[in-house]
Amino acid sequence: MKFLSVFKDLNLRDKGAEFWENSSPTKRKVIATSLVGLAALLPFMGVGILDTPVSDYGAVLVYPVGMFILMALGLNIVVGKSGLLDLGYVAFFAIGAYTMAILGTHTSLNTWEIMPIGIALAMLAGFILGLPALRLRGDYLAIVTLGFGEIVRISALNTKAIGGPNGIANIPVPPSIGPIKFNLNDQKAYFWVVLIMILLTIWMIRRLSVRRAGRAWEAIRQDEDVAELMGVNTLRYKLWSFSLGAAIGGAAGVLYGSKTLFIAPEMFTLNVSILILACVVFGGMGNIWGVMVGAAILAYLPERIRFISDARLFVFGLALVITMNFRPDGILPRKKREKVIVKKVSN
Amino acid sequence: MSKVLLELKDLTIKFGGVTALNGVNLKIHEGEILALIGPNGAGKTTVFNVVTGVYQPTSGEVLLHGKSLKGVKRFNITKMGIARTFQNIRLFGDMTALENVITGTDVHKKSGLLGGLFGLPRARREEQAGRDKAHQILEFIGIDEYSDRLARNLPYGVQRRLEIARALGTEPKLIMLDEPAAGFNPAEKVELAKTIKKIRDAGYTVLLIEHDMSLIMGISDRVAVLDFGQKIADDLPTVVQNDQRVIEAYLGVPSDAS
Ligand SMILES: Nc1ncnc2c1ncn2[C@@H]1O[C@H](COP(=O)(O)OP(=O)(O)O)[C@@H](O)[C@H]1O
Ligand SMILES: [Mg+2]
Repeated sequence: MKFLSVFKDLNLRDKGAEFWENSSPTKRKVIATSLVGLAALLPFMGVGILDTPVSDYGAVLVYPVGMFILMALGLNIVVGKSGLLDLGYVAFFAIGAYTMAILGTHTSLNTWEIMPIGIALAMLAGFILGLPALRLRGDYLAIVTLGFGEIVRISALNTKAIGGPNGIANIPVPPSIGPIKFNLNDQKAYFWVVLIMILLTIWMIRRLSVRRAGRAWEAIRQDEDVAELMGVNTLRYKLWSFSLGAAIGGAAGVLYGSKTLFIAPEMFTLNVSILILACVVFGGMGNIWGVMVGAAILAYLPERIRFISDARLFVFGLALVITMNFRPDGILPRKKREKVIVKKVSN
Repeated sequence: MSKVLLELKDLTIKFGGVTALNGVNLKIHEGEILALIGPNGAGKTTVFNVVTGVYQPTSGEVLLHGKSLKGVKRFNITKMGIARTFQNIRLFGDMTALENVITGTDVHKKSGLLGGLFGLPRARREEQAGRDKAHQILEFIGIDEYSDRLARNLPYGVQRRLEIARALGTEPKLIMLDEPAAGFNPAEKVELAKTIKKIRDAGYTVLLIEHDMSLIMGISDRVAVLDFGQKIADDLPTVVQNDQRVIEAYLGVPSDAS
């Protein structure tokens, strides 16, 4: 059992942060560039242990792995950073996907032109839902968002104009970017787009975390009443959190629509919301690296072990329970460490 | 006499059957230290809660610079110049001491989320200014050496002081301290008294809830006494100290027994 206790106490998050802080700017640049480069090369590494024997490895990298990471990062802004329990995150994913499907099949707009529209619509939906819902606290917010997720799905199901239960087919793939073509048999290009979206999201979250907005979210998460009394316009920052999370969900949805070529309401059930939330909790709420690792594992593992078919979900669930038992705060939990105190030298 | 900064006018608040404040009138003048005392449950913290907008009064009103605070949002009350600490420490435990104070300074910033995201010049300037200001305040309160420590890991006394620092971060005109010396030993109380004086001398007005009589006598310009939600005295410390009703309130003797 020694191994397990090591696993329990291992604080990779703080070790990593320490290592990063002690690295020189050049060293940091080298590390960051190699990490991004390595990630970009992932589609070529589908051999040996990394391969997914039953599913197409290249496709798995895009969906679920890449998209789960992206969505988990988005939901983490809401749940992890601001402490707002959102159980209807799938709604924004659906709005993005449907925007892509409707505009892609009815207009001559291409995926890249539809992307900002899908993001804006998802954001708008987040804003409209948030305006009344974010006045509620805790469990009430969870219930309202859960309801919203279902309403979006059921509305799609009952709206003939957008295919009802039959959904929408023949959604166009994105136009090629220079020599890079989007092809379902070889999904490298999709993966690189997801990767860029993930990088942009990481940039955004890291930026905001050390700015006024990040502090406001952190304050709201820890004690909303005190935040308000210290001058934080809590409703405004909760709305921002919600809308940004929605925007990322919407962006993922647009790309998803343009990749599956066919969408239907049954793809956007509560299960998706729960699974993305599981990624956040499993990886480590509030910490982007944890959330990404969590999402990568939860997305990849079921595909990796698909060959055991029936026992697959059971093994998956068991792994989840065992991990959460030993690391209740997730694999890489939020900051616990403190910087070394540097005493001021008075002159 | 100097200008009135904050005025409570005939303030009454009821919680179900409990009348926590009953027709309280109180004026706080610019630049003074006003101590608010009274037995437990007298309604002192409730005064803070009504002034900061946590509760709406059942009747009566609160005036800041002569303007009613009725219906003003809580964060705007803070922005208008009223800050407070909490009887039970309520810091942002997962933030560093410095971040706690910067969060206070954020209230007057003009740049919002987008400015911060895209690193616009004004946002960058304000961010740096807030950081510098927060360090200054921590220095002023005497706890700058703890600036990079997580608030929840700080020693108790430092946490109490950090609450004051965070409130000062909002650049208040009036700072309201709710039992800031609770749990302090005599030496720490002396230190705190010095700090409170220093705060007043720096131009802030202080409303102080405190139980320790010697601390109050040492630093307050005026003392107001609450008992069962009513103001029973409001005068110079030496006068209040010898007031029969005040002594009875503290000893728990009904006033008609004398
Ligand atoms: N939110 C509330 N709900 C019900 N009763 C309250 C509430 N806040 C305060 N009270 C009551 O008001 C009275 C005054 O409380 P408080 O202002 O906290 O006293 P203190 O002078 O000790 O700070 C007490 O009887 C308390 O129980
Ligand atoms: Mg009290």
